[in-house]
Amino acid sequence: MRGGDRSRVLALHLAVIGLLAGLQLVLPPFHHGMLARIMVLAAYAVGYNVLLGYTGLMSLGHAMLFAAGMYGTGLTIRHLGFGVAAGLLSGALAGLAAAGLVGVMTRRTTGPAFLIVTMMLAQAFYLATLYWNDITGGDQGFILTGLHIEVAGLRLPLADPAVKYNVALVVFAACLLVSLWITRSPLGRVLVAVRENEERTRLLGYDTSRYRLLAVLVSGLLAGVAGSAYTLLFSYVGSTFAGILYSIYPLLWTLLGGAGTVLGPLVGTLVMTYVVDITSGFTTAYLLVVGAVLVGMILWAPAGIVGGIRARWAAWLP
Amino acid sequence: MGRVAPVTSLLEARGISKRFGGLEAVRGVDFHLDRGEIRALIGPNGAGKTTLVGLISGRLRPTAGEVRFAGRDITRLRDWERAVLGIVYTFQVTSIYRNLSVYDNVALAAQRRRLRASRDWVALDRGALAADAEAALTRVGLTDRSRQRAGTLAYGHQRVLEVAMALALTPELLILDEPTQGLAGDEIEALCRLVRGLAGTTTVLLIEHNMTVVLELAGRVTVMDRGRIIAEGTPREIEAHPEVQRAYLGR
Repeated sequence: MRGGDRSRVLALHLAVIGLLAGLQLVLPPFHHGMLARIMVLAAYAVGYNVLLGYTGLMSLGHAMLFAAGMYGTGLTIRHLGFGVAAGLLSGALAGLAAAGLVGVMTRRTTGPAFLIVTMMLAQAFYLATLYWNDITGGDQGFILTGLHIEVAGLRLPLADPAVKYNVALVVFAACLLVSLWITRSPLGRVLVAVRENEERTRLLGYDTSRYRLLAVLVSGLLAGVAGSAYTLLFSYVGSTFAGILYSIYPLLWTLLGGAGTVLGPLVGTLVMTYVVDITSGFTTAYLLVVGAVLVGMILWAPAGIVGGIRARWAAWLP
Repeated sequence: MGRVAPVTSLLEARGISKRFGGLEAVRGVDFHLDRGEIRALIGPNGAGKTTLVGLISGRLRPTAGEVRFAGRDITRLRDWERAVLGIVYTFQVTSIYRNLSVYDNVALAAQRRRLRASRDWVALDRGALAADAEAALTRVGLTDRSRQRAGTLAYGHQRVLEVAMALALTPELLILDEPTQGLAGDEIEALCRLVRGLAGTTTVLLIEHNMTVVLELAGRVTVMDRGRIIAEGTPREIEAHPEVQRAYLGR
């Protein structure tokens, strides 16, 4: 990687973060709120992409990691009286712990086996959230009230749109930069090598199962942080977020934006969320439109939006 | 042939066998390599050559016998652990990262070697890593293609890229599985020069069908047939060996 590329890449990603920061000044309230939500979900997709895009492992059980972050935050705040910062930390750790379980259970699996094991684990987790509904609130969930952070002596309620937007931005930017840093480090190079040719990588002397585990942990940590942030910003915890749909979403967002591109998850989440929003405005069959978008993408842009841009015009994109 | 370095044993396989279902591809073979030698392994197709080096590199587990490397029993070690010890295998069928740049291919090997000393990813010196990678590319003459996608290289270049990856690991034992297969005359000549340059520092085990290459490079030759070693000696002895002529040279 040449020095010129390196600074160009960093400049691009900082510019994207700067653009998101600037947009809050011009967006009307509806889109302002929508973008805050998109940024949190995009942070989740960024974590998913570390696994799918860079390590080549397709999970269908990521909702478990996202929801672990949610419950880790929501339950500790609700039952143990944690503050926002402690809640965020316990959410992140819950995501990491859930990923540790997934990583150990999938230690020797790749491909379809990995997909099935992650899906089964997540279903078990989902059913557990329903079974112990006296603690989790089941599918009704529970809401949190009065969440706030303090910055420089100022008490800022998280329900305030401007606070919400900026906290979402910080969470997203942190996840994006972690992902950028990993993918451009020697470690990221090994993860890509595992994706591209696992046997070759082992014969270079890399214990590939350990690198896969590491990728699962990083992915789980980011998913946990995103789930935790979702709970904090939208004051709600519920088992819907542990369901299969929330495992499929990050897969779709990542594929649409471009698996194995750093900005792909953001672009995919943004486009898909707006497609769903716009189409659901005039038809209840909006999932049909979503399906059509995906079929079209697979036919004409299999590398996703950012992946297609990279292939055609900007080979330097990470 | 007058090598001055003290001869010590690097690799020793005792009574190793590998059975695939009903087929015993390697049958109780004793095999021994001295440090620093270039050894050719020849034999007709299906003789068990690739299986034997698979047992040495750890791609396969023996069904019987033991393998010792630098005095240590490595029979139970996995492929990646053996690579860390310095047993490096280059594939018979070119196995590179086709979608990565030529530079990244070599850098993956170079950074593994640097990590052997320290497990610390953060302290990995990127400047030195780049220098290692460049040096490996220079040795095989691929420097000006370092940014090209490896899958778009000409076939001959892909083969030498594979060798460059192996060299970047600074192997103790380099196993080359039919490295000249499909190469043109001048490419074969360049590869021979490269391997000859390793003599004395790196032990080389070479599976090769091209007898000119074998005679030019190898200090000793081992001949396999139907899972067994049928002869071993200098190239001249092997050429004259009656059983070898029958089984392999077809005379």
